[in-house]
Amino acid sequence: MEEELLVSGRMNHLIDPQLNIWHWQIPLYLFLGGMAAGILCIAALYFIRGRENDYRTAVRITPFLAPFLLVIGLITLFIDLRHKLFFWQLYTNIRLQSPMSWGAWTLMVITPVSFIWCALHIKDIFPNWDWKFKWIYDIESFFNKYKKVLAWIMLIYGIILGIYTGILLSAFNARPLWNTSILGPLFLSSGLSAGAAATLILSKNKSERRQFARIDLVLIGIELFLIIHMFMGFLASTQVQIEAAKLFLGGPYTMSFWIFVVIMGMLIPALLEFMELGKFHIPAIVPAVLVIFGSLMLRFIIVYAGQVSRWLY
Amino acid sequence: MNGTYPQLEIEIRSERCNHCINAPCVRCCPTGASHFAEGGIVLVEHNKCIGCGACMASCPYDARYPHPDGYVDKCTFCIHRIKIGLAPACAAVCPTKCIYFGDLDDPNSDVSVVLKKRKSKTLIPEAGTKPQLYFLI
Ligand code: SF4
Ligand code: SF4
Repeated sequence: MEEELLVSGRMNHLIDPQLNIWHWQIPLYLFLGGMAAGILCIAALYFIRGRENDYRTAVRITPFLAPFLLVIGLITLFIDLRHKLFFWQLYTNIRLQSPMSWGAWTLMVITPVSFIWCALHIKDIFPNWDWKFKWIYDIESFFNKYKKVLAWIMLIYGIILGIYTGILLSAFNARPLWNTSILGPLFLSSGLSAGAAATLILSKNKSERRQFARIDLVLIGIELFLIIHMFMGFLASTQVQIEAAKLFLGGPYTMSFWIFVVIMGMLIPALLEFMELGKFHIPAIVPAVLVIFGSLMLRFIIVYAGQVSRWLY
Repeated sequence: MNGTYPQLEIEIRSERCNHCINAPCVRCCPTGASHFAEGGIVLVEHNKCIGCGACMASCPYDARYPHPDGYVDKCTFCIHRIKIGLAPACAAVCPTKCIYFGDLDDPNSDVSVVLKKRKSKTLIPEAGTKPQLYFLI
């Protein structure tokens, strides 16, 4: 007779006092997806509004980051899976009630779209680029003709992707800290501000940089507003959500959240951008890197702290 | 364990998957690996599971765990035994016979009868999962 070693459940209060399933992969994946979504949304939006020439970097150059971010994101998602050989099951099933399924399918659409978008602008990076084959030129001119449609797809799927990075967590009522619908818009605006920061770093045009500093300022304002509302909502809610908020208000995540996310990722860059707009000279890369760092830390802290928060029973 | 010394109370529960009627683990599974088997038992189809962990995060009772082989697993209510008319192993081996098992839809089953006679509770009903495990109090 075959003997089987029985392994007891890990998520047992006596063995593992808290949920311990998602490590660095999921927050990194959410950050990369969110930032790519931000970049693509901004590019699509300015293209649709016909501002391509005013914001050339945002529409034509920054999107080159998106395919890399998305592919690395997909790889980290893959690394996170424990039953990797069955990965393809994600793409033989459509489950409308599952945020994970939404995310997988959204990535399936937006990743190729981002590749096409970059291919259409490849001459901006490599002026002597030659596609070699005529059929590739035919495909290129086809997409050039329907570039507006492409931009709309990119915008809509970018928004879905950005919101999804938050909804993935907020759909879990089992983790009181995640179970707030604010996470969707909060992660979307954090992704948008990371996307705007990328253009701020890459742009060589002064007026474009000023515009993106302004966009970042507005987005930081929105994020702060959402964070305050998130805490107000928690504190006015049931005991489990009050406990969840306490993780950040005196609990183990207080310092990391307020210092890394709010002060370094929002308040300092906002101040620097404000000074930059008001004639001081600040190298644009400083606030931009801080914003990107804050956006990454937000994902990490929320994912880790959420696994500590639980129902009391 | 609850209370302040010396006024303490302790509750000993044998916990497992609650086979919820409104199971968040089934809802959030991207592949359909987590599903309701006939009769309402919540099961994981191992060859469909990608091990993403969404179901583990979604279960307010932390009833799931990753199997060393990669897929996520949980209490099956011993469906392999039930199918051949045996009680789940936990109920069969319990020396004090404190676990009852049966069909809640059948008014004459062991569980239905004992639930009619005794007071009981479910765990965190406010989580909205409609658990089907009742604890006698
Ligand atoms: S107890 Fe957890 S694993 Fe079991 S059905 Fe309910 S939510 Fe799913
Ligand atoms: S770990 Fe498996 S059963 Fe759980 S949600 Fe993912 S695919 Fe479904």
